Amino acid sequence: MSRAADLFSRSWVRWTIAAVVVVLLLVMPLALPEFANQTIARIGVFAVAVLGLNVVMGYTGQVSLGQIFFVGVGAYATAYGVQHDWNIVLVFLLSVALPGILGLLIALAAARLGGLAIAMVTIALPIVGVPLAKRLSDVTGGSQGISARFTEAPEWSGLYNDQWQLYLVLLIGGIVFLLTRNLVHGKYGRAFAIVRSNEAVASSMGISPYRYKVMAFTVAALIGGVSGFLYMVVVQYTSPETMSFGHSITLLASMVIGGAGSIIGSLLGGAYYVLVPQLTNLVDPNLTALLQGAILLVVLFVLPGGLVSLPRRIARSVRRSAPHGDAPPTSPTRTATSRPVAEDTHTERQDQA
Amino acid sequence: MGTFIQLFVDGLSTGSIYAALALAIVLVNQATGLINFAQGGMAVLAAYVAWWCVSNGVPLILAILVSVLFSFALGAVIERYVMRRFERGDPDTAIVVTVGLLTLITGVCGWLWSYNNQQFPSLFPLDTVQVLGASISVRSIGTTIVIIAIMALLQALFIGTKFGLALRAVAVNPTSAAFSGLPVGRLLMAGWGLAAGLGAVAGALVAPQLTLTPGMMDNALVYALAAVILGGLSSPIGVVVAAWLIGVLENLAAVYIPFIGYDLKVAVPFVLIFVVLIVRPQGLFGRKAVVRV
Repeated sequence: MSRAADLFSRSWVRWTIAAVVVVLLLVMPLALPEFANQTIARIGVFAVAVLGLNVVMGYTGQVSLGQIFFVGVGAYATAYGVQHDWNIVLVFLLSVALPGILGLLIALAAARLGGLAIAMVTIALPIVGVPLAKRLSDVTGGSQGISARFTEAPEWSGLYNDQWQLYLVLLIGGIVFLLTRNLVHGKYGRAFAIVRSNEAVASSMGISPYRYKVMAFTVAALIGGVSGFLYMVVVQYTSPETMSFGHSITLLASMVIGGAGSIIGSLLGGAYYVLVPQLTNLVDPNLTALLQGAILLVVLFVLPGGLVSLPRRIARSVRRSAPHGDAPPTSPTRTATSRPVAEDTHTERQDQA
Repeated sequence: MGTFIQLFVDGLSTGSIYAALALAIVLVNQATGLINFAQGGMAVLAAYVAWWCVSNGVPLILAILVSVLFSFALGAVIERYVMRRFERGDPDTAIVVTVGLLTLITGVCGWLWSYNNQQFPSLFPLDTVQVLGASISVRSIGTTIVIIAIMALLQALFIGTKFGLALRAVAVNPTSAAFSGLPVGRLLMAGWGLAAGLGAVAGALVAPQLTLTPGMMDNALVYALAAVILGGLSSPIGVVVAAWLIGVLENLAAVYIPFIGYDLKVAVPFVLIFVVLIVRPQGLFGRKAVVRV
């Protein structure tokens, strides 16, 4: 176990893995059947949505039940722009900016309240959003919804539509993931963490909890907008149902089950969002909500860190059950082998785990 | 003028339903510091239990009593076996737990009784009475009176009985309450049970109007949460007043402001919240919380 972890900690191994993953992602859409590509693209869409929720909830500690609203706004903005033949880059910017502005306005009011109240206010977003989308039928197409086809593969690429769409999702989603990773690992991420752990301490350190909460919420809304754009890339159709309350709850559940405050957890969350309802629907459509609620509660009880913490949990229990004589020899050999080969700073982190 | 009075009284009656749910939320929050998002779902389950009793020949009043008792037990059990692990921990996790409970309970209702609408018999006759030129339904009046009675009972319980005093002590400071010999665990269970019972009353009152579905209380929960924010978490009376205010204002807005109409009136309380928040972040009646580092 520790040898594998040790191997992983070396930077050249990390880079190799990253390169292999990138190559795999580039080749995969060409090799897989259409249905698989579409499913993976949908996972990408909702992984981005979960990532946005993670910024506001996982990293900053504000429960938001309204993230799906921003996804919906982004999707509607995209559909509207495409239907009016606007430049697609402009459409993308609009579909990100509009949720961002809405998010900022909502956060300015909601963040004035305590942590619990943000959850109470955001629950209103999907519940107000659905009738609002129905009402503004000139823009949104009412209950009928609105469709926009703009992601047919261009001639020169020689790709099928599903391949082209998946590439778009991988590219845009990948950029969002990288940017978010940098955000939460940098200066702002540290500020988020302090606000999350103790607001009073944060403000005594000169970090305004209000400012960072508003900021996290706005960033989450922006990412939600990107997710909405990608939703239109893949699904090409949106209706008020897209941002319903049930979907909002599933998104929250996906984030918790994937792992709050984790980049990989967001990916797992996206996979949960897309795959598990399909599975539970297969079992019995009437049982879907029951199973999903039960899964969420079981994860909260058994694995509070979400799926992403599963390998660590297994590693710990393996180490604990292993005979004690085993433990001492591994650490000297590890330091002996790893120090001379690669002088990287990540080895210290291994010792904590 | 007639329409106005009618809208006003109808608003009070729907506001009373939000008030019952909001009081339940405040009750749980005062005892444990949590917001129970499953409160609406629990009320729906209670309404289903009452409906099931009625369709098996039990008189309506008795059926509602059974559902209240059932809810009391359910609330106590949920507190003891689910929530206790997460109380006093990270409030975010606890909220997610209650959201999970909401999904689970809604799912149970849908699984046992399907997602189709069911007719729930009304506790009050569907007659109307003429007051100042407005025809007001007896149901509106009855609902409002029931909620006022419950509120008075709760107030009496909290102020006039030893049990109420103990509940309040646990709410203010559970550690000190435990040191002075109060059975904190059992009191928390009772608090949750009471809240769930209150929710059950709301469920029985709202079900005839909305027809019974697993998602029946989703909107009512949103209104109740809005009332809780507006009224301030620490003030039961404030919450009830806020719920009435919301009920009346949304009813008036639905008719007198053409853009809003009946489908968008759910937005009214949140516009109200925005306005209030800018002026008083702690709610209309709430006290400002002071945090020490």
